[in-house]
Amino acid sequence: MRDFLELAVSATASGCVYALVALAYLVMTRPTGIINFAVGEWAAVAAFGGFLTLTHAEWPYAAGIAAVTAAMFAVGWATERLTVRPLVERGAPVLAPILALLGMLVVFRELISVGFGPDPRPLPQAFGFGRLEIGLVAGSYQSFFTIGVVLGLFALTWWFFERTLAGRAFEAVAIDRRAAALMGIDLSRVTALSFAGGAAIAGVAGLLVAPNTSAHYMMGLPLAVQGFTALVIGGVGRVEGALVGGLILAFAEQLTVRYAPVPPGLAMGVPLVLLILFLLVRPTGLLAAREARA
Amino acid sequence: MLELAGVHGGYGGADAVRGIDLAVAAGEAVALLGPNGAGKSTLLAALSGVLRRRGGRALMDGADLMRMPSHRIVAHGLAQVPEGRRVFAPLTVEDNLRLGTIRLAGASRGAAAERFDAVYALFPRLAERRAQRAGTLSGGEQQMLAIGRALMSRPRVLLLDEPFLGLAPRVVEEIRRALEALRANGLTMLLVEQKLDIALGFASRAYVLVKGRIALAETTAALARRGDLASLYFDLAAGAG
Ligand SMILES: Nc1ncnc2c1ncn2[C@@H]1O[C@H](COP(=O)(O)OP(=O)(O)O)[C@@H](O)[C@H]1O
Ligand SMILES: [Mg+2]
Repeated sequence: MRDFLELAVSATASGCVYALVALAYLVMTRPTGIINFAVGEWAAVAAFGGFLTLTHAEWPYAAGIAAVTAAMFAVGWATERLTVRPLVERGAPVLAPILALLGMLVVFRELISVGFGPDPRPLPQAFGFGRLEIGLVAGSYQSFFTIGVVLGLFALTWWFFERTLAGRAFEAVAIDRRAAALMGIDLSRVTALSFAGGAAIAGVAGLLVAPNTSAHYMMGLPLAVQGFTALVIGGVGRVEGALVGGLILAFAEQLTVRYAPVPPGLAMGVPLVLLILFLLVRPTGLLAAREARA
Repeated sequence: MLELAGVHGGYGGADAVRGIDLAVAAGEAVALLGPNGAGKSTLLAALSGVLRRRGGRALMDGADLMRMPSHRIVAHGLAQVPEGRRVFAPLTVEDNLRLGTIRLAGASRGAAAERFDAVYALFPRLAERRAQRAGTLSGGEQQMLAIGRALMSRPRVLLLDEPFLGLAPRVVEEIRRALEALRANGLTMLLVEQKLDIALGFASRAYVLVKGRIALAETTAALARRGDLASLYFDLAAGAG
């Protein structure tokens, strides 16, 4: 039992990271229809930003995290301005920005590789290495910190979409772009903001995993795949879907590694198996949008 | 109030509307008639700035709408009730209306509350259904919502694209009365309509659009004496070549 609960805490923590990457996809794809696979690379960029501010410059933890998240907001904004908007304004089909963003993925990765080399760089844990035990439930400080931060971010995102006029405007754009424009909603501003928010969210995901995995120039791709799988499991329609999808994926992964008689290398295939399964059986994800698009 | 000169616009290839000259005086209600595919909706899209390619001049209070992005056009005081209603079906009636306030000048709570009161007074049925999802409303109620939503920005000019299409006569009458109340309050309106009798009862003048051009502009009274619209369209189309 204790063994399972320990696994549950660590699975919840990594599920929360997957969920955050899925959320980054979701805030961009809801209003624009664009799937941006560069989210993994954004997480990596933020992880190296964390290395520079927290490890190298030894800033206080909160200050470093805030500065990197703000910088990622700007990176997302700039990425949209430079690669997505010119294509959208020329009326290019939605595949064009997706491909352009795949190109940006390579650019980000090469920039990291040129700037920092292939060696992993360490990041400090938020509260140092320690274990917290609450009754039978036990896990590392970093796990509980990750879970807390991610749940907080999900609550904030949910509040934004459901309770603010700006959030409703995002939803309106997702439902019917033309009608949203006729209301006076500035579509290009919504697109830019969704990319800025997506990059900030992906950045936080990178900052949360990096203390465990170190910042590494190849860290982006697995995160992009896991986040995308979580998104497919949960569905793109609702914010909660990303959270559910991330948790299901992480538990499937960790239960396979712990209890299934397969070599650990094969367990890395769990996201792909789930991805294919969901695409075949339930392509809308577990939590479909409240109603189909108009 | 609204003065178009040489407006053109389209999608791919050739322009769907060309050389449109049209004027609507302040407080006037003008009808825009024409057969299916003539370009009526395209012209309204050009005015609202939601058409990729558009040009010419459309002056409203001295500013050229053709040089403004869609969100500034709404802020400038021109709103559109689009063809097919296009309410945000998964959102509540109240959320649909609230989205209409996004460009409301002096976007204070007071200004928005005043707009809610005005729209609910015009369409009491929307007040009854304020917490309901827009997709669950009847066709007529959805049309009321589409009109109410456009009114939330307190426009001075309202474009209406076939607001009576597919509605029962009783509902048509209800909406027509609401539009008449708006006109009595001084709202300037350009109404796209297929049925001559509705246009006649409502507008003082009418433009007939055929194959992307204005083929005829006269008072609705004169238009009424011409009789059947279908044969008029046919004659005009033949004349346009
Ligand atoms: N989204 C679109 N893409 C390409 N062509 C269009 C589109 N919408 C309308 N058209 C074309 O533009 C012309 C005018 O259409 P429209 O303005 O909808 O006419 P109306 O509103 O008078 O019925 C038609 O030939 C129609 O086929
Ligand atoms: Mg039309």
